[in-house]
Amino acid sequence: MDTKPYMQDRAAEEFFSRLSEGKFQSTRCRGCGRVHYPPRVVCPECLSGEMEWVDLPCEGILLAFTWQEAAIRCRKPEVLGLVELEGVGNVFTRVDAPYEDLHIGMRVTFSTWTSPDGLVLHQFRPVGNT
Amino acid sequence: MKEVYVAGVAMADVGRHILDPHELGARVCAEALRDAGLLPREVEGIATTPHGYMADFRRFPSQRMADYLGITAGFMMDVDSGGNSSTAAVQVACDRIRLGRISSCLVYAAQREVPKKEVQKDVLGHFHLIRAANSLYDTYQAAYGVISPLPFYAMAVQRYMHKYGLEPEDVARVAVLLREHALRHPQAAYKEPLTVEEVLLSPLVSPPIHRLESSEMHDGAAAVVLVSEELLRDRSRAVRIAAVAEAHDPTNFLPYRGEIDEFPCVERAVRAALAESGYRVEEVDVAEVYGAFAGLELIMYERLGFFPRGEAPAAVREGRTTHGGDVLLNPSGGRLSLGHPAYVTPLLEIVEVVRQLRGEAGERQRPGAAVGLVHTEQGFINGSIVMVLDREMS
Repeated sequence: MDTKPYMQDRAAEEFFSRLSEGKFQSTRCRGCGRVHYPPRVVCPECLSGEMEWVDLPCEGILLAFTWQEAAIRCRKPEVLGLVELEGVGNVFTRVDAPYEDLHIGMRVTFSTWTSPDGLVLHQFRPVGNT
Repeated sequence: MKEVYVAGVAMADVGRHILDPHELGARVCAEALRDAGLLPREVEGIATTPHGYMADFRRFPSQRMADYLGITAGFMMDVDSGGNSSTAAVQVACDRIRLGRISSCLVYAAQREVPKKEVQKDVLGHFHLIRAANSLYDTYQAAYGVISPLPFYAMAVQRYMHKYGLEPEDVARVAVLLREHALRHPQAAYKEPLTVEEVLLSPLVSPPIHRLESSEMHDGAAAVVLVSEELLRDRSRAVRIAAVAEAHDPTNFLPYRGEIDEFPCVERAVRAALAESGYRVEEVDVAEVYGAFAGLELIMYERLGFFPRGEAPAAVREGRTTHGGDVLLNPSGGRLSLGHPAYVTPLLEIVEVVRQLRGEAGERQRPGAAVGLVHTEQGFINGSIVMVLDREMS
């Protein structure tokens, strides 16, 4: 049974393909230099269609976190969170730490996680925890 | 511009239905037309929504209903913009009548979902439905297996509680109050009283949200009949649509920039609707608010301007949002306790406010209610529609 999410566009396919190589990247507009998250094929700032892929910041601030009881792919309760990357925006992500250890405003850092069905996703864990 | 009136309203009991949604729709349409004193041949427009998020989707439901009831329409629309769908239909119909292009319009919605228990029993058999629910979200959210906006709302409530130093009881209390309201509503899905302890002892479905602070998906159906003045059969029961306003944010579900518990579209929509109606928010007697979770209920009370930021929990505690308070909020029991067939919900809200303004709300009646407000939203409150209704003054 295919439990993979719909790869709704080419930019999403590219994003997850890069992630599977351990690269946390998104698009930057060659026209105005704005970094987008999620990646885009058109820049909403200057309307240019010329993009390049650049590294996203690997550290951010945990804005909020929760877990979900039931979900596709993530069988056991998964801790999910929203991480603010400076100058980029908010990233919805898996959090690699027990719910009880988290608090709003803590610094978190990027790594990857492979789901049971083989999809490579990003996750963040509190800075200092390895 | 012509004035537009709600001349007829009807709703089915909220809960589980065995009738096909199309038949359920036909029943409430017939009842709303009888309430308006109109026959199908006098109806000039018809609009509706899909039959549910996970329901079998049949195309062109309005045309099907026009055939079923014998409506020769000069305006027809099937709308899908999530929770706003049926209010969006009402808004467009209202504009068509104001312009004089049609004189009447039937707006209905009927929803029947696959019961959650059946889905849980047979996950593989219903996997296409789970995938359909997952496909509502973009890839960057869907990849984490999200099948409802619950984790997004949980994070918004967490930030709201964090900002204002709220305790779990502050949020649980509004769920209890809505249940008290619903116990006065014979058509509500929930019939048992609830306590703060029960809410807080119910399982966390996505912290800080407890099961009894989150609205379940129900079946339901409702219809409203909009008319211009010429087609008003009973002036004494007429409710006027004083204003409708719509506002959206440049977001789709979880915002990729900025705060996640702000929902600025709500403030813009309510400001525009009140300005168009000429009323101040203090003049609103009764309102139906689209709060799918207890915490969001509180945030919406504040964004709609009923209370300053962070003060809705105290207002609820002090009885200011219930019978005998400053403003009666969600007398129907709201999404949490009336029940929440999402596509139908906006029409259920309109039905309740119309009944209040007509003085026909029975045990739930706010004496002398003259000005009402309806608020709906779509997605993760990415867009909002606010309506202001008033009683015809003689």
